[in-house]
Amino acid sequence: MMFNPVLLIAIPLGLAFIAVIFKKIQKWILALGIIVNAVLVFFVEKGETAIGGFKIPFGISLVLDDFSAAGVILINILALAAIVIAFKKAEKFAPVILAGLAGMNGMILTGDLFNLFVFMEITAISAYILSSEGRKPAQSFNYLVIGSVGSVFYLLGLILLYNQTGTLNMVLMTEKTGFLEQTVLLLPVLLIFVGIAVEAKLLPMAGWVRGVLGNSNSYTGVMFASVYSSAALFVFGRIFSQVLVPGTTVGIVIITIALVTFAAGQASAFRSKSLRQVLLYSSIAQSGLAAALFATGFVFPAVLVVVNNAIGKLIMFSAAGSLEEKYGTDDYIGLGGAFNKNTLTGIAFTIAALSLTGLPLLFGFYAKLNVLAAYLNQGTFFVPAVVLLGTIVEGAYFIKILIKLWAPGKEGEWADADQSVGDKRIFSYTGTIAVILAAVLVVLSGLLPDTAGKLIAPEGGLLGDDGPAISLLIQKGGDQ
Amino acid sequence: MNLNLIIIITTAVALVAYLVSKVNDKAGAAMTVVGSLFALIAVFLLRDSIGTEITLLYFNFNLTVTGWYFALVMLMAYSMTAFFNPFWMKKLIYPAGYNFLYLLSMAGTLGVFFAKDFITLFVFWETVVWSSAFIIQMGKSRQAAYVYYVISAIGSMATLFAIMFAYGTTGTFVINDAFGGLAAYPGRAIVIFVTFIAAGMAKIGIFPFHVWLPFAHGSAPHTFSPVLSGGLVKMGAFVALLSVTAFPAYKIFGGMASFRGIPLPIYFMMALGAISIVVGTLMAIKQEDAKKLLAYSSVANGGYILIGLLMLDQVGFAGGLMHIVNHAVASAAAFLSIAAVAYRTGTTKMSEMGGMIHRMPITYVVYLIAIISMAGIPPMGGFVSKWLIFQGLADKGLLFIAATAFFGSIGSFLYVFRPLSAVFLGQTFTRDLNKKEVGVFMLFPMVVLTLLSLLTGIFPNIFLRVVTEIQTSLGVLPVTLAENTIVTNNGFLDAFKVFIVFGFGFAIAFVLFIARRKSRRVELMDTYTSAEFIHTRELLHYSHSFYAPFERLYEKAPDTMKLYHKAAVKISEIGNFAEAIFFGIKPARTVLLVMGTVLIGIIAGGVLS
Repeated sequence: MMFNPVLLIAIPLGLAFIAVIFKKIQKWILALGIIVNAVLVFFVEKGETAIGGFKIPFGISLVLDDFSAAGVILINILALAAIVIAFKKAEKFAPVILAGLAGMNGMILTGDLFNLFVFMEITAISAYILSSEGRKPAQSFNYLVIGSVGSVFYLLGLILLYNQTGTLNMVLMTEKTGFLEQTVLLLPVLLIFVGIAVEAKLLPMAGWVRGVLGNSNSYTGVMFASVYSSAALFVFGRIFSQVLVPGTTVGIVIITIALVTFAAGQASAFRSKSLRQVLLYSSIAQSGLAAALFATGFVFPAVLVVVNNAIGKLIMFSAAGSLEEKYGTDDYIGLGGAFNKNTLTGIAFTIAALSLTGLPLLFGFYAKLNVLAAYLNQGTFFVPAVVLLGTIVEGAYFIKILIKLWAPGKEGEWADADQSVGDKRIFSYTGTIAVILAAVLVVLSGLLPDTAGKLIAPEGGLLGDDGPAISLLIQKGGDQ
Repeated sequence: MNLNLIIIITTAVALVAYLVSKVNDKAGAAMTVVGSLFALIAVFLLRDSIGTEITLLYFNFNLTVTGWYFALVMLMAYSMTAFFNPFWMKKLIYPAGYNFLYLLSMAGTLGVFFAKDFITLFVFWETVVWSSAFIIQMGKSRQAAYVYYVISAIGSMATLFAIMFAYGTTGTFVINDAFGGLAAYPGRAIVIFVTFIAAGMAKIGIFPFHVWLPFAHGSAPHTFSPVLSGGLVKMGAFVALLSVTAFPAYKIFGGMASFRGIPLPIYFMMALGAISIVVGTLMAIKQEDAKKLLAYSSVANGGYILIGLLMLDQVGFAGGLMHIVNHAVASAAAFLSIAAVAYRTGTTKMSEMGGMIHRMPITYVVYLIAIISMAGIPPMGGFVSKWLIFQGLADKGLLFIAATAFFGSIGSFLYVFRPLSAVFLGQTFTRDLNKKEVGVFMLFPMVVLTLLSLLTGIFPNIFLRVVTEIQTSLGVLPVTLAENTIVTNNGFLDAFKVFIVFGFGFAIAFVLFIARRKSRRVELMDTYTSAEFIHTRELLHYSHSFYAPFERLYEKAPDTMKLYHKAAVKISEIGNFAEAIFFGIKPARTVLLVMGTVLIGIIAGGVLS
């Protein structure tokens, strides 16, 4: 039985209002909403759904193609994993989280540019509220201001486009902008880019990230780094790979910004001493990479990067937040040997870090190969070189953290468990199981990459790109 | 038994070893012995299936005689060292993890040597890198694992670039086809050659990548240093080999400027090998720690191997291939004997030991024979392979490289005998008077390796026959072998006769030693110099600033490590800069930045269109 995709938005939104009324049982409403959505997401009808009885393109429509399906499945499963890991931290925000989930599903599904704005605002507001959990009002305020400026820019760009084309429907917009000159499109596309870049975490629009993610806990860290940012990147992909494919000039501007984001993120992560700071800069770098891929039209590799980053950051941010809650610091120098008595969590964390670095046998390797192959098949050598240099830096800072957290001990002496910071448990049992499952997913999809690729893009491509740039299922004899 | 089964079974044994170690770590460590010996025997039996191909998941293997040869060397180092594992479990923070990673990295090396396509090669290569990095961190230094991983990553990422570049050019990952098809693109080929060989250079420890060896070899758990030096660096040799054989470097660069018949790109790599010989030798002379000293000697020996392999000719190439076995055997034996000493004394610092020959005579002989082979003195294997390399260099008239090779040989006399005299000779420390020889279980691998050193030295042709097979399979003229002699353009070598001569000399010396009156034993402090009694023990120790005057000659030599430090500082500075610019908490500034971005975007867009 297949359901209408609008339920993915309606159910959490409705439950959000109910949760406001029944405050006493709001945590159960939250659990119910998230679980129902996580199950429902596998049973929604593909295709275009008109909302409110208007014919397309006059009303709002929801579009569930392979791309948005990958997006909503990722978001809803991650949202579930996030509350499993840190339910205690999440329960008091029940209405906010549910509304945010409705917003994110809407962002990814909608086929209307103004409707997208509305959903982005809903999501952003829930994000502002969640950021207040960090108890750094100045940071939240900063986020609020940047977020609002971004929204205004998006709206301004949209108005300009509407003025030129007379439509807000994404499909029609693609058709009509095809007739417009690049110079006319330059300003609106740039304004929309800036608006989305705030949430997609591209520099210099990502100034808020340090303040918000740097003070996140085991729940909000996951929400910001994995869930919100994946949703924003899927929107980025929808707009810049399909609706408003940037011409050469705008493309160069966007890709340059994305690559600078990648490089700056990696360098900043390299110099950071705090676990969450390393992770947030690494997230910014990954966003930069994904954005560069989307803007070039390499949708499938970009989705792989987004998925890999989302799963990796789910494990790592929840662990970092939890370490901070348990030991009062997330400065990894002071957390030597924290994995000593948390072997399973440590293994999951290690797998996540190695996958983010793109090490073989893990999903990240498949993602990295696809990124490199996409560019090299096109004849671009510069970007792969940048990506690989970034990978060296990335590997350096992750291995430094892993070594620290696994092997405590003075230089010149054997690693010694007695030198560990302590033996506090990082996660509850359910939390441990959740991160282990995530890690198993990373390993399995790394061992069977082509199966994983088929799950993400059953038709072989996303938004009309070529799909996997590389197949690892090399036939016997070695030919592709 | 096929290769897939061997890889699957060793991986399974690794998992079982992990679980068993959770209950009893010694039993788990014993499983590493079983697992590695199994792999050694099973791979040895693969000899008949050479030439076949096999597929596992998305990995494709091709059983070549080259891979078989390398795999045996590697498994020899792994299985012999494994005998030490049970005795070191107490020292390790994660005994179970160690046993698991030990076998996993071993399974990984098999995949590297038998890889048919680049993806397989790279996947297994990186698996070995990270699993060994996690072993190294359990040793004496966390920084060692960090440096090891980062230098390896620099090499690996360069190689990944080369692989993808070759794929982008020829459209295939199959090693021979991808590289074979590059002849039409000499410009790209040179980039691919240089970046591809990088991982190999990083792994062998060729200058300027050699910095990780003293860290990692010197500080890894004592039971892993022999594997690192005897085994894992040989993976680098394999990649170097691929970059002149699978990658037809001589053919592609044939039309380029060359020096004495060696195209410049290849000559440049050989020169780096030569620099490694010099750097390794000079640095080894300086070391106070026996393991660090042996690590630098690995740098120098890696230089020999690289030079030999890159010559790709009849004689020098055979020498390079043979040196892989000889150095693996000798350095594993040397590291194991130092580990045995450390097992009893608890230290590897030379100045804290002495006179261990009285307490551990067999270990002493093992070390002695290992270093004789390393220094290239007959009648051990190291002599034969170095002789072949020298012959090759002399044939081609590569004067500069030959000079460094000779320098390295003489220099090695200076350093390999230092641990010998410092650790084993001289006066025993009072603390060590009650120490005993290690047990049979640890002696066994050391004795086996020693016998192998002798075997390669006395009957080198047993090994060189496989080398000729490799040469034939690669289309190189094989080295000429007679009954028990090796024939080159400049002469011939009958290793057995050499052994007889040396044996005769040894016998005479031994008779003299027995017949001679026993020397009187005195206490170390029972002496005086310049009419003064000395009260500081260290000053009478062999190893204390032994070559101080010589070291002063090059004490101002630049430290390569500083280069990497500088790079790290630069990256941090970029990070600091980005953070200062982009991550302030003043909303006004961020808004300005956002507006600025739009403005710059518009201007850039205007200029570009």
